[in-house]
Amino acid sequence: MRDASLPAKRLYWGTRAQRNALGIGVALLLLVLWETVARVKGSVYLPPVTTVAKTFFQEWFSAQFRDQAIPSLYRMLAGYAAASVLGVTLGVLIGAYRRLFRLLDPILQFLRAIPPSAIIPVGILLIGIGDAMKIVVITFGAFWPILINAADGARNVPSERLDTARIFGVGAADQLLSVTLPSAMPGIFAGLRTGLSIAFIMIVVSEMIGSTNGLGYYILQSQRTFAIPEMYAGIVLLAILGYCLNAGFLAVEHRVLAWHHGQSARAV
Amino acid sequence: MNHGGDALLDVSHLQKRYTSSGTLAIEDVTLDVRRAEFVSIVGPSGCGKTTLLKTICGLLHPTGGSVVLDGKLVTSPPPEMVLVFQDYGRSLFPWLTVEGNVAFPLKKKNLSRADKARAIAESLRAVNLEGFAKHYPWQLSGGMQQRVAIARAVAFSPEILLLDEPFASVDALTRAELEDLTLSLRDALGITMLLVTHDIDEAVYLSDRVFVLSPPPSVVVRSFDVPLGRGRDQERTRSEPVFLELRNEIHHLIGRPRPEAAGAALSS
Repeated sequence: MRDASLPAKRLYWGTRAQRNALGIGVALLLLVLWETVARVKGSVYLPPVTTVAKTFFQEWFSAQFRDQAIPSLYRMLAGYAAASVLGVTLGVLIGAYRRLFRLLDPILQFLRAIPPSAIIPVGILLIGIGDAMKIVVITFGAFWPILINAADGARNVPSERLDTARIFGVGAADQLLSVTLPSAMPGIFAGLRTGLSIAFIMIVVSEMIGSTNGLGYYILQSQRTFAIPEMYAGIVLLAILGYCLNAGFLAVEHRVLAWHHGQSARAV
Repeated sequence: MNHGGDALLDVSHLQKRYTSSGTLAIEDVTLDVRRAEFVSIVGPSGCGKTTLLKTICGLLHPTGGSVVLDGKLVTSPPPEMVLVFQDYGRSLFPWLTVEGNVAFPLKKKNLSRADKARAIAESLRAVNLEGFAKHYPWQLSGGMQQRVAIARAVAFSPEILLLDEPFASVDALTRAELEDLTLSLRDALGITMLLVTHDIDEAVYLSDRVFVLSPPPSVVVRSFDVPLGRGRDQERTRSEPVFLELRNEIHHLIGRPRPEAAGAALSS
């Protein structure tokens, strides 16, 4: 009888270090490809990697960082903070109180359908092209996913938990803070993560349309004045900033939701 | 046969109609529980036993009849009564440690830090979970989690504990352990017990009296005194002729269709 055993099939190729190295290797290969094509073809619209890199260090390690990047970051974080506070508060309330939800739902469904970019002209008319307009637009954009996910999280608190709090004499407001809010945290963080991405997109868009500084403005202005390496340098900086913000967010989530990750891991 | 002291809980012609569907869950339930007594309510699944307990506990309002605890009408969850749910996964707080869960009912009690710590330690000791204070509930087995729920209830220093099929979600061996634990809690702390179960053997093993509930619209079909005395043992008690006779009689009774005389609660 033939031996029916087969070698165990490995799920992934190699060790983790080898896979990481492969990923980095592919990225480097693409950069080399870019450099080669740029040098050979010599298109003004695709400068070589080395030129972009030089411009990058030239621009962002100078006063430009303070003049362009800092305003963008400030506006984005301000808008995101406002969206988070408003979104979580209102979200948890409409999730916990069905009556409030039914009252507000039609208005909310309509407003959330508006793409945040469409609000920019309204913002310019009413508020101008200063910091305030961008912060308001970012708040509007990031608010919706935060609201909806927070509401969802608050709505799905197991009734036994709230009943238990009632049995222990915990009042309605305290129930909201000590039972509903912690229970809704996983949902809230899902909303906050999406809201962060939207805030990031909206800062660039709003600065391209109505601004005199900021990274969005910088990138568009570079394109218009044919400062092509600068344009790419701006995009690369955005990518790095976005990556850092996301990493920071994940680090916070990892701590706050440690209990949730532990519980989910256990459930498997 | 008087197994306890005076009446602690008096449920009189209790009626509960679901507000959403209008169906009658509980038609006419009359039962009483004396101080330090262990009373079980047994009935087929789906006979509104959870609704009954929640109404007795004050979480739901009766549509007829009354619940009187220690001479006072129950209109909202009174501090002398705690309800332990069947699904510990949904009733325990996963973002808190075992210690945190057990401390939750103590929030309203304005205890000093030392007193609080003592109360928590005593509650954990009562359920044999010393040493697990810093664990999270989801790190523990099902039986241990239910013990955390019981410890949390005990920490509230109630006079009466309502248990909603508390051992239905654990395996048979753990069930026996938890049954004996509940008996010892009654003996050691003098807490009155009202337990709802579909398991006839469990009801007879644990109780001083057993009430048999009909399918909805529920009435008390009959009540039985359990002449087995204190100091019960899983092996010895369950093989005594009195035990077997009684559980068979109840089993036979539950198998029968509802008696014609609705609302009549007969005592044996």
